Amino acid sequence: MLEIKDLHVNYGRAGILNGLNLKLERGETLAIVGESGAGKTTLGLSIMCLVEGRVSGSIQFQGKELLTLPKQEMQAIRWNRVAMVFQNVNNVLNPVHNILNQVAEPIIEHRLSSKNEAREKAGELLERFGLPRSRFSAYPHQLSGGEQQRVLLAMSLANDPELLILDEPMSSLDVTTREELGNLLQQMDGDCARLVITHDLDTASRLSQKLAVLYGGRIIESGPTREVLRYPRHPYTRALIRAYPNMTTVKDLQGIKGRMTRPVSGCAFHPRCTQAISICRDKVPQLIRDNERAVACHRGGIITLLSTVNLSKSFGSLKAVDSVNLNIASGETLALVGQSGSGKTTLAKIIMGLHTPTDGSIYLEGSKITNRGKEFYKRVQMIFQNPGESLSHRLTVLESVMEPLEIQGTGTKEQRRDKAIQTIGEVELPRTEDFLNTYPHHLSGGELQRVTIARALVMDPDLLIADEPTSFLDASTGAKILKLLLNLQEHRGLSILHITHDIATARKVSDRIAVMLDGRIIEEGPSNEIVASPKQAYTKRLLGSASALRPT
Amino acid sequence: MSTRRNLATYGIAFLIILGLNFLLPRLMPGDPLTAIYGDEALIAMTPELKASLVERFALDQPLWQQFGAYISSLFRGDLGYSYYYNAPVIDVIMGSLPWTLLIIGTSLVLATLLGIVLGIESGWRRGSRTDRSLLTGLMCLNGFPDFFMGLLLLIIFGIWLGVSPLSGAMTPYSGLSGMALVWDVLKHMALPVAALTLAQLAGGYLLTRNTMISVLKAPFMLTARAKGLSQRSLKYRHAGRNSMLPVITMTGIRLGRVVTGALFVELVFAYPGIGYMTYQALLSRDYPLIQGIFLVVAVSVLIANFSADLLYPRLDPRVSYAY
Amino acid sequence: MHIDVKKEIRQSGIGRAGVIILVLVVLIALLAPLISPYDPLQQSTDSLLAPSTSHWLGTNHVGQDIWSQLLYGAGTSLLVGFGVGIISLLLSIIFGVSAALIGGVYDQIVMRIVDAFIIVPMAIVAILVAAYIKPDIPVLILLLSAFSWQGGARVIRAQALSLKEMGHISASRVFGASGLYIARRHILPDLGPILLVEFIYGVRRAVFMEAGLAFLGIGDPMLVSWGVMMRDAMRFSYLDVWQWWLLPAGVMLSLTIVGLTFVSHAAETVLDPRLRGAEVA
Repeated sequence: MLEIKDLHVNYGRAGILNGLNLKLERGETLAIVGESGAGKTTLGLSIMCLVEGRVSGSIQFQGKELLTLPKQEMQAIRWNRVAMVFQNVNNVLNPVHNILNQVAEPIIEHRLSSKNEAREKAGELLERFGLPRSRFSAYPHQLSGGEQQRVLLAMSLANDPELLILDEPMSSLDVTTREELGNLLQQMDGDCARLVITHDLDTASRLSQKLAVLYGGRIIESGPTREVLRYPRHPYTRALIRAYPNMTTVKDLQGIKGRMTRPVSGCAFHPRCTQAISICRDKVPQLIRDNERAVACHRGGIITLLSTVNLSKSFGSLKAVDSVNLNIASGETLALVGQSGSGKTTLAKIIMGLHTPTDGSIYLEGSKITNRGKEFYKRVQMIFQNPGESLSHRLTVLESVMEPLEIQGTGTKEQRRDKAIQTIGEVELPRTEDFLNTYPHHLSGGELQRVTIARALVMDPDLLIADEPTSFLDASTGAKILKLLLNLQEHRGLSILHITHDIATARKVSDRIAVMLDGRIIEEGPSNEIVASPKQAYTKRLLGSASALRPT
Repeated sequence: MSTRRNLATYGIAFLIILGLNFLLPRLMPGDPLTAIYGDEALIAMTPELKASLVERFALDQPLWQQFGAYISSLFRGDLGYSYYYNAPVIDVIMGSLPWTLLIIGTSLVLATLLGIVLGIESGWRRGSRTDRSLLTGLMCLNGFPDFFMGLLLLIIFGIWLGVSPLSGAMTPYSGLSGMALVWDVLKHMALPVAALTLAQLAGGYLLTRNTMISVLKAPFMLTARAKGLSQRSLKYRHAGRNSMLPVITMTGIRLGRVVTGALFVELVFAYPGIGYMTYQALLSRDYPLIQGIFLVVAVSVLIANFSADLLYPRLDPRVSYAY
Repeated sequence: MHIDVKKEIRQSGIGRAGVIILVLVVLIALLAPLISPYDPLQQSTDSLLAPSTSHWLGTNHVGQDIWSQLLYGAGTSLLVGFGVGIISLLLSIIFGVSAALIGGVYDQIVMRIVDAFIIVPMAIVAILVAAYIKPDIPVLILLLSAFSWQGGARVIRAQALSLKEMGHISASRVFGASGLYIARRHILPDLGPILLVEFIYGVRRAVFMEAGLAFLGIGDPMLVSWGVMMRDAMRFSYLDVWQWWLLPAGVMLSLTIVGLTFVSHAAETVLDPRLRGAEVA
């Protein structure tokens, strides 16, 4: 019913929409999600042909090209076939006319019924949206924010449009009103297509079946709402979900590095993307469809960094690791949860090459790993439980952190030193001469662990395996280390394989959880789903016995 | 910008008027009777008349008693006696008031309507040729004082083109009636009304135009456009309805200015209204008449302002009654 | 809120035109004693002459040179205009700012009085008073000022009120600043643009009133004023003399007022930022 192709809207020199593509069918509700300034309202206004600035491209509505339509025809389409519920700001309704008249006005103007019939219908609509007869002659300033929103909604339906555009329909509403409105909208006419424009993921998930994510004036991901929110494919979508406080996700909030700037060459997100490669700077990625989902990313979406296929390791008759199939995506934290003896550490060591697997293979970004050379260790690093033991007591802090660089032979001594110092700063340790020359036995547990992290990060690895990184630390120090890891992930796009026995910790730090028992992965999935609805008995026991502050 | 004035304001204004009226002559040096009635009048008065006047207005009493006498005479409807016209002031005023009301009323209505419409059209097309010419044109028009405007019109239409009568409200001694009378009156008031209208036009126009410009940027205008409403609806029902409010608010104050204008215009056209009376009174130093006119006019303006204040909430629902 | 009044006026075509007109009139007023060929008040027997080389605009009914009168008239109008403008502005500032800063009962009383004066038509009162007092220029200026400052006071008070609420004023208060200091240092400078606009309004009103009162015959008969010229000329409107007697005076008066209107229009955009931009060429 609505098809937008390559829509460009420029205002002055700034491009607001840069080649937007969209499709909407009859009866569908599509949510356009984006942060402020992404161009969402501009999109809505361009469909109504109300936008100022230069517009190019094509907007086809029921086969008619709207952008070239003569004024008269467009005027006839407005409200009759395409209507808009504006964002509820002050003065969005005319202050000198009462609400009944304003709702009836489009009916009368477009000559759809007589004046009396129009008012009848307007009254019905207002009542349907919860405004009683007694308030029909009220003026906008006499209404509360929520009531004004209802009027806007009622008004939009006055001429039974085929397409309804809703711009932040829930923004000024309290909780109960949101629920009511959500229900009302769902009960509405099934044939009417709806475009919901919002920054709020809750609104999007409540009201829509399909979701499209807008960034830098383009759609960068789309698909069924549930699917996109559960398994986002574009790095931006994932980051957006991670940044959004909600009752579903459990991981701590993370931001997106950098900020949205305009204009940007190539992929609009690449300055902030943690898996960007050189082509991302040069070419704009196209929105490529795959069944119901579409992603605009040169790398096809979030890539899988590491995967193990049927990985097994036996020590004699003991199967420590039994046919493990695991995937770790770029920039995500996978928590491997299991009690001691479950095989998790063995698995980690296999990945690091400290054990040879008896069966199966490991792939790093698609290429099979046979030998692990310097290249491998540049990209995959590990930190251990006991920081005191993993640092040589004969090396100072700086020397320890510089060690990997020396082994790899990267750069000059100066460069290595600078890089090491920079990384030491990244893990929030002081960069003073005094500190850099300190020996491990003078450091606290937390400081030691930070040094090991710095040492692991100094080569800018893609994957960090953290084996029970906080078990030797007290609670507060441990919390800070976990936070540090989250921040590092935010800034560097670090993937983390977090091995722990404690599902409560896993819950707070991971995007996905894999539960390991007796060498096998018995359950795996998004963290919030594992925690909220575990399927395996063992998982349930794990959850039941996990740390809780039983207040009652 | 709606001004909510309360009764106290009107009370004070009334006191100011009364006060001025009362105090001015009495503060003048010399004999109060002379000050009130003027030299010429006094010459014509008999000693008995003088004595009775002194008694009636308590002119030999302390000031506050005089004020009491003054107030009580007002309540009796006694505004004094005009020596020039040889009639009670109140009669003289009532005789000429209707003519003034005629031209003031007509010009006020015309200027308001025209000013609002032109302001809306101009604001709608802001920056265009029409707007710029209207703006410049009306501002220049604004610069012409009423009396000059009147004189120009008189010269152009009365003397040069000879299409308009040169003075008066009716052709004297013509004995017309019915439609002929109406036509005669209209012919005579055309130029005065034109002069007054033109003089006031710019004020309403500018105010409406400015308001229109800001209103057009309001969010509800976008909503209205999205509803696919016609240009006319957008211009008048939505933008216009909001833009005309300031002009209506100002009606009270504008009335004050019209009255001033009428004074000059009547003078120029020898139109027998209050203004012309004032001029004659000034010439002949008929102080009671001057005072009477001042009182009537000032109080009328007050009443008009008050009525406008009462009417305004009807138009702007955001404002509630202050009384 | 950084607005540059002078820039706004300069940028607007209308503003520029207004400034040019005003400068012209001011020059005429200042140079009148130097460039006028005759003493404007000197009567002669050559009355009602048509324009000639010795009398550029002819003479009036008592033989005075019209051209000289025209030149001197500028001075009268501007003198009264600016005089009233300044005094009126001062009163507006004093009452407006004090009402805003002091507030409370004082504010209520002052505002009631201001509103009351606004309702009463200034011209009518001026006429009434002038009928008794027969003012010369200084008295006229005082009289007109007394009824002209109220509108400005209201506007200034409103502006001062909103300024008062701004952060930096409260900060000064916290440092212990007195009301006078705050008025001087913080409020007055920010009021700048409004003061200019109100001043121009005041001048405009006064020029109009002076001419009007002169036209009515109230006022100093010894004064050379465009209003007086028009009044005298009116009596002879059936003759041709209006072309060089009435018109020049009326045109000069209108021109002056128009000039003021133009300048104030350009300056108004300073007050209401929404009026800026996309303005007349």
